Amino acid sequence: MTSAPTYRPDVYSPSAILDPYPHYRRMRELGPVVRLSKQRVHAVVHHAPCKEVLLADDVFRSERGVGLNPVANRLSRGTTLNSDDEDHERRRTLLASRLTPKALRSMREEVQARADAVVDAALALDEVDGVADIARALPTSFVPDLIGWPREGRENLLPWAGATFDVLGPLNGRTLRAAPRSLAMMRFARSVVRRRDVLPGSMGADLLGKADEGAIGHGECPALMIDYLAPSLDTTISAIASALWLLATHPQQWSALQSDPSLVPNAVNEVVRIESPLRAFARRVAVDTTIAGTPLRAGSRVVVFYASANRDERAWDRPDEFDVTRDATQQLGFGQGAHGCAGQGLARLETQSILRSLLERVDRIELTGPPTWGQNNIIHALDRLPIRLVAA
Amino acid sequence: MKIIADYDRCEGHGLCADQAPDVFDLDDEGDLVHHFDDQDVPSALEDAALRAVDSCPVAALRRG
Repeated sequence: MTSAPTYRPDVYSPSAILDPYPHYRRMRELGPVVRLSKQRVHAVVHHAPCKEVLLADDVFRSERGVGLNPVANRLSRGTTLNSDDEDHERRRTLLASRLTPKALRSMREEVQARADAVVDAALALDEVDGVADIARALPTSFVPDLIGWPREGRENLLPWAGATFDVLGPLNGRTLRAAPRSLAMMRFARSVVRRRDVLPGSMGADLLGKADEGAIGHGECPALMIDYLAPSLDTTISAIASALWLLATHPQQWSALQSDPSLVPNAVNEVVRIESPLRAFARRVAVDTTIAGTPLRAGSRVVVFYASANRDERAWDRPDEFDVTRDATQQLGFGQGAHGCAGQGLARLETQSILRSLLERVDRIELTGPPTWGQNNIIHALDRLPIRLVAA
Repeated sequence: MKIIADYDRCEGHGLCADQAPDVFDLDDEGDLVHHFDDQDVPSALEDAALRAVDSCPVAALRRG
């Protein structure tokens, strides 16, 4: 057993957020687990040990937070994300049962119709922003209704949800600047629960019903509302926008989808692999252990870099190449195991629906200007994507 | 070799059925069907079955 090699550059600096992949490559070259000297944590960067950590939820714990700073970890107590074992199963079952592929079957046609409408509206314009006009348009058109978030104040949703991820980063300037917006979302969620201002028939209404029956405390409801709303927007928006960008810049991959639309589900996995919407989350080590030969002390934190695992040369042939025909099932962009993304069925449904709408209506996607990437400690997403959809 | 399915944990993502269609399937309701529940997976299907175990997003499958 040897201690992990140290990686000195700050992988949460503004420039590393914009272009993280050279950092991940250099970290992987150092070893499966490296020590981030700036954040004073271990980072797991190869695919196999990342998966090992995610599956060993008895050793690598979420209950004291998956963020990189103690303030956010304390504030996000009571969420499904930050719990383990029975507490986690109970919270997850409450809401995730509405998000399973089985439960979503009844929504397939509706989501496809919404995706068709989004793509039709974009086709009617000469040039569009793939992020604002397509990627954001679909999830924001129905996910807040599904969760039951009140209609007033929705203009705050995206900034609040983005901030709720940002604060899970290390205690850098970004985290501190995002804190007020994240707290505002929590305050709003508390008042929603207090006023019982949730849409009838929604997941939020279900949740309040469960609280009335005594299955959960009313005090647990605000965190759980955020738990399901915040992660259902930025992540899917990232995946849809990256898909548009990748297909605009890789016409041969677009052609492959055109000739075989059955590749669409795999293409979504491949997008999530190569441009993982979530960079990394942390775990707390419960007992002294080793991962990939590196000793880890009980009480310390490890950060699992999904985005690095998804480009690990040991796990993937030509990892930096976008290829919709490769089997991308083993990508870790949704995490895996007990804490595997509860909304992945919905995220897949939305992204696949947009791709199907495009394949039916669009001959090609053209990039009309340079894309810009957003700044967030946790979410990797395009901020602006000037494109033109050329009708089939 | 047996593959054990945790039906409570399964959320029906169906990635196992893509990896090993002769071992796993989803029924019309979207629920998991394990063709070799409680019995050995034929050796010709073992590799595919193990890929399915590996691909389950919520770790609802394990080798028995």
